[in-house]
Amino acid sequence: MGIIYLMLIVSLIIALFFLVSFLWATKNGQFEDDHTPSIRILFDDENNEQPNYLEDDGSTKV
Amino acid sequence: MSESCYHCGDDVIGKGYSLGDKKFCCNGCKSVYQLLHENGLNSFYAMEEQAGVKPKSSDVHRYDFLDLPAIRERYIDFEDENSVHVKLFLPAIHCSSCIYLLENIHKIEPRILSCQTNFTERTATIAFKKSFPFPELALLLDRIGYPPNFEEKKEVNKSIDKTFLYQMGVAGFAFGSIMLWSFPEYLGIDEAPAGFRSLTAYLSFFVSIPVLLYSARDYYMSAFKAIRYKQINIDVPITLGILALYAQSCYHIFSGLGPGYMDSFAGFIFFLLIGKWFQRKTYRSLSFDRDYASYFPVAVLRIKNEEEEIVEIEKIEEGDHLMIRNDEIVPCDVILVSDTAQIDYSFVTGESVPVTIKKGQLVYAGGRLIGAKTRFQAKSKSERSRLANLWNKSSNVSEERSISQKKWDKLSAYFLVGVIIVASIAAISWAFIDTNRIVSTVVSVLIVACPCALALSRPFTYGNTMRKMGRSGLYLQNTEVIEDINEVTDIVFDKTGTLTKGSQEKVTFEGEMLTDQEWGSVLILSNSSTHVLSRTIARWIKNKNLSIDSNVEVENYNESVGQGIEGQVSDQHIKIGSAKFMGLDAQDGTFISINGEVRGKFMFASELRDGLESMMADLTSNYTVHVLSGDSEKDAQMMQEAFPSLENCLFKQSPEDKFAYTQQLQEQGKHVMMIGDGLNDSGALAKADVGIAISEDVFQFSPNSNGILEANKLHKLTSILVTSNFAKTVLRICLAFSIFYNIVGLGFAITGNLTPLVAAVLMPISSISIVIISTVFIHFRK
Repeated sequence: MGIIYLMLIVSLIIALFFLVSFLWATKNGQFEDDHTPSIRILFDDENNEQPNYLEDDGSTKV
Repeated sequence: MSESCYHCGDDVIGKGYSLGDKKFCCNGCKSVYQLLHENGLNSFYAMEEQAGVKPKSSDVHRYDFLDLPAIRERYIDFEDENSVHVKLFLPAIHCSSCIYLLENIHKIEPRILSCQTNFTERTATIAFKKSFPFPELALLLDRIGYPPNFEEKKEVNKSIDKTFLYQMGVAGFAFGSIMLWSFPEYLGIDEAPAGFRSLTAYLSFFVSIPVLLYSARDYYMSAFKAIRYKQINIDVPITLGILALYAQSCYHIFSGLGPGYMDSFAGFIFFLLIGKWFQRKTYRSLSFDRDYASYFPVAVLRIKNEEEEIVEIEKIEEGDHLMIRNDEIVPCDVILVSDTAQIDYSFVTGESVPVTIKKGQLVYAGGRLIGAKTRFQAKSKSERSRLANLWNKSSNVSEERSISQKKWDKLSAYFLVGVIIVASIAAISWAFIDTNRIVSTVVSVLIVACPCALALSRPFTYGNTMRKMGRSGLYLQNTEVIEDINEVTDIVFDKTGTLTKGSQEKVTFEGEMLTDQEWGSVLILSNSSTHVLSRTIARWIKNKNLSIDSNVEVENYNESVGQGIEGQVSDQHIKIGSAKFMGLDAQDGTFISINGEVRGKFMFASELRDGLESMMADLTSNYTVHVLSGDSEKDAQMMQEAFPSLENCLFKQSPEDKFAYTQQLQEQGKHVMMIGDGLNDSGALAKADVGIAISEDVFQFSPNSNGILEANKLHKLTSILVTSNFAKTVLRICLAFSIFYNIVGLGFAITGNLTPLVAAVLMPISSISIVIISTVFIHFRK
């Protein structure tokens, strides 16, 4: 039955871990803008030095 | 058949501007394209077609005021030896391409270090090197089509939002943990050792302390405030319930009876906070409460000792001479010192055709200058201008409103009285059966009567309705407006810019018809001008579908501001302009002359927005509809033909008249909804029970109001009102459910059977079912 005490402590630690990460994320502004990052992730990574994937007229190949 | 601009998607009128195989509507669009193309930002067009914003040609000195230390300080967030950080409001942001362009702006201007956009707020946080002047940054943004708005002081209170999230996080953590530890209790497992059970009970106690002291504190404060003012609001029974719940649980834990109701306690708070959060998520990028100052420029050019200097508008004194540049807003009531000027009063009246002002005439604050730099003399300080007076007058009255809030508080008071009566009856009954259980029964009644489900039904029903309305094009300030909309008996419309389109697009030509070739020449000439009327004429001729040779150039082109245009097209000398420009006696209309001979004139009229006839017919059957117009009675017949059911239609109404009319209706006991668009409606909008502003671009301009409606969605008003009324029905269903749950709970409480298990089951079921009912009903109704 002793194992249940260990599990109790572990559950508390895990829950505390998530609470702290939530508070930390809030503090760092993770929930301030929930729309822009979803658009930003779709942008191609562009590299100015090697524009070799650009066609002659400059449009990106799809 | 008409081509559209590669950059902004507008129709290309006439030859347009071309670069390679790409066509542009104006030089501005073409130069933005060139700028992006040269800097390898072509993905801008690949992501969304014709995503660009048409840039307005603006003066290079337009943003010079940002060099004034007092003003500069206002906008800069943070500054060190190398870099400057600013957060700018760019209302033109509208799609993913905009984000792409702005976040890659350092490729255009290497002195910009980084740019991070926030789409929801329409802001960009920009860091740039100190060697890059702030005014130039603003100018660059303006040139690519994102003019920063410095007038609007947007202060989104982030710290409150964050505190709220912290509170939710703490409550959620406690709720989850305590539920996990209570599992043996739920399953009725009695074999767990006594030591384990008391350990979990104490842990629950500790975990719930921050919930009591931190997460729920806003409820105590609100309840305390209400009681101090001898009022009852919904937070009073809530506070009573959660305190009773907490006290009972502590008693259970410390007297070794079990873990108490800590799971229900944390769950209550968690659900209540979710409800509040749902209600608070509103349209952060829109402004509903504006100060009149947000329409005026931040600074203007003042002439002192014949030298120009930039001053903040607060410092303008009566008698100062001001220089207003093209496209700037006149910040106070002024008298024209230069000979003539063109003023566009569209902010004020909704009418977009400019008015010509002569020397010595008064120009009201809020007008926009069109044309060359012009000199004015200030007649009043900015805060004493006619508009500001009207604004202040109306903002004083808007304090006393929200009849619905009072109704809701009354309901809470009845609820509280009911609970106390039930608790007393239970106490008296138990006095005859078992005096030891009186206290625990009364506490149970208080616990179960905690109106959690009741408190959730309003935010969720109205929150969902508000989102649904947002998809129909009406953006509300907050959920309480919905209750006010349901009280409305009278709807008052402004005419110009609200029922009619702002631009005068209905063209009629009077005079002998021209030949195709002559029309072609007129088209080519009118294409050369960017004036509103020239473009309207050009579009009208294009729609005639004549075969026109558009490869002819205009020679000797000349534009006289406020008068007209002239030029040589092939062998004809064409003039388009006012009667005075033609040398005729003053009269209305825009004339055409070919080789010196006047051939006819164009008359312009504003057109009604689409679909209004049927909307008006529906509205008049349920509401009393009024139309107030600032114009003369020339459109009376058109209004009568379009809306035969309309009875109250008044003309020549000044802003003060509109305000008084609204007030008069309210004194008759009517609940008024005012729908208008210009600053001249702002008094009536604020005075009315519900003020809805009509706007072509919801992010750009609208007077202070309770809601902003997209201009092209006005015909949907009837269905929006139906949605709003439906919300009332849904709310009633939710209330019926939550009262049903309370009665079931009271049954358990009075009979002394409210065990922690019953509470733990009843509480989430009631809350979640309310959320589901309101969401399903609102969203699945067509």
